[in-house]
Amino acid sequence: MIGRLGLSRRAQLVLQVGLVLAIAAAIALIPILDERSFNLQRIAFNLLWYAILASAWNIVGGYVGQISFGHAAFLGLGAYVTGILWSQTGVDPLLTLPLAGLVAAGYAVIVGMPTLRLRGPYFAIATIGVGEATRLFFVNFDDIFGVTLTRGVTGISLPRYDPITVHYATIVVFVIAMLTTMYIRAGRFGIGLFAINMDADAAETVGVPTARLQVIALAISAFFCATAGTLYAARQQFLDPATMFGFDKSIAIVLMPVVGGLGTVWGPVFGAVLYSTVQDQISSLVRNPYLPAVIYGVLLVLIVMFEPLGVAGLIGRAGRIARSLVRRRGDVS
Amino acid sequence: MRVVEALISALLVAGLYATMSYGLALIYGVMKIINLANAGAMMLGSFTTLFLWQTFGLDPLVGAVIVAPLFFLLGAVLELVFVRRVADQKPVVSLLLLFGILLVMQAAASLFLGGDVRAVRPVYVQEVIHLGDVTIAYTRLFMFISGVLILVALELFLRRTFLGRAIRALAQDRDACRLAGIDVRRVSMIAFGLGTALAGVAGALLTLVYPFDPSNPFGVLQLKSFTIIVLGGLESIPGVAFASFLLALAESLTVTLSKPQLENLVSFILLVLVLVVLPGGLASLIRRRRLA
Repeated sequence: MIGRLGLSRRAQLVLQVGLVLAIAAAIALIPILDERSFNLQRIAFNLLWYAILASAWNIVGGYVGQISFGHAAFLGLGAYVTGILWSQTGVDPLLTLPLAGLVAAGYAVIVGMPTLRLRGPYFAIATIGVGEATRLFFVNFDDIFGVTLTRGVTGISLPRYDPITVHYATIVVFVIAMLTTMYIRAGRFGIGLFAINMDADAAETVGVPTARLQVIALAISAFFCATAGTLYAARQQFLDPATMFGFDKSIAIVLMPVVGGLGTVWGPVFGAVLYSTVQDQISSLVRNPYLPAVIYGVLLVLIVMFEPLGVAGLIGRAGRIARSLVRRRGDVS
Repeated sequence: MRVVEALISALLVAGLYATMSYGLALIYGVMKIINLANAGAMMLGSFTTLFLWQTFGLDPLVGAVIVAPLFFLLGAVLELVFVRRVADQKPVVSLLLLFGILLVMQAAASLFLGGDVRAVRPVYVQEVIHLGDVTIAYTRLFMFISGVLILVALELFLRRTFLGRAIRALAQDRDACRLAGIDVRRVSMIAFGLGTALAGVAGALLTLVYPFDPSNPFGVLQLKSFTIIVLGGLESIPGVAFASFLLALAESLTVTLSKPQLENLVSFILLVLVLVVLPGGLASLIRRRRLA
């Protein structure tokens, strides 16, 4: 959408980076201006948190076009790496963030190498299997290994951690995630991913290493999902498999980028804004937990049928219409 | 003895597994679309059966007969209004569309029916038959018989009637069908309706044995149907029946010989393994044997 203002590629990139930094700065100001603005901090955290997840999924789902219904596996894995290390050794949870990301990335490589050879619906179904298998694995973790680490469905309780530190950590992760998706999209790697999306066989023929690129994309995607898991663990002090690995999380991670704009940089952010607002406002207004789900479902159907680029596509259209109006008026005078 | 028991219980469960997967395989065969809304149709089938039972006192087995034509219509309408429009686009598009339809079905059901777990309990729910040391519940026996009956009926329909042959032809080659003068859109609509009807019937039968609730988009049970069609080779109806038995057997052996908690893990690991090692399913293995 910003791309159609007639600027050079370089200027566009600078503008987009500026926009990310501006959003980050605005959200960073919240605790400084009012240290007791807990509600606003919570809203900001949810927004950024969902934006990180949506942008991370978009690298695989939007850029490569491989729809994953199992991304909660990476989110939960990150949360559990942090949760276990923190509760067992007492290490600062935010220090475990890179490790959580790397563990999830490694898991993504192991899972991705075989499954990413599958295309379209096959990959999607395989990811449902991976997601559920991972959840069941963590539910039965203690039983399988004869230890007491995850406490099965009961979950892990964690110590308290300073929410303002988490607030800033979330902003930093958000900025890094956004810059990464932009960098990928603008560069050679991203071109390779989009080539796979358009025609995997043709891409392979002209020398795009499709298998390797897809696995790397999934690993990066898993990395950021896992960091979101770490942030959640540090903020919420409680982890259980039903929440962290739940299929509803996987659904949310798919919904946001698709509704916001598949394969665009800002689409996932729009999706996250929409999702966290609906989640927050409508469910508290109507007091019916199922109404938001109806809305998401209808939105998803409408967007798939009429505007594949989602909210980002609509904004682009609105921009074009506005410009054409301006131009027409200019012609008359 | 424990193995014999496991074998029998697998055979009985396979009836339900097969019924809930036939429709998925049929739709995939004809349209090359994975019907994610299958799970939703099953859930609605269960609730329709519950409604018929509560209001008119109809037994779930009778309910299944009423559910079938209703859900045929539902499926035909879904195809006509939604699926048809995205059929020519990338598979991902239809996948997301049907996923959206699934979400609407589940969420709307939760909204109007509440998220409680429900069950239908006909009078014979506790009755069992003793065969030597093995006891078999009536309900499971009915499920098995229904699964076999539907298999026979489907095979007869697909092999003996013109419409059935058209459906099979469509699964083989869409363009050739157009050349041969088959109304591809109409047959697709009928196939989608039939697949949805089968899902509804599976939902009706399911009420005999399992409690159900609307809120879970992919219940463990519904996910298993993916494993089954992948294992069965995606479009073969007998393949589905055989794969249902294999999955049920693998699960019941896991329960008897290992840990019961791992029962559900089996199907997901099997799903990923088969997809990766044997993407054509068991049918492709047999075909390869034949060629060699």
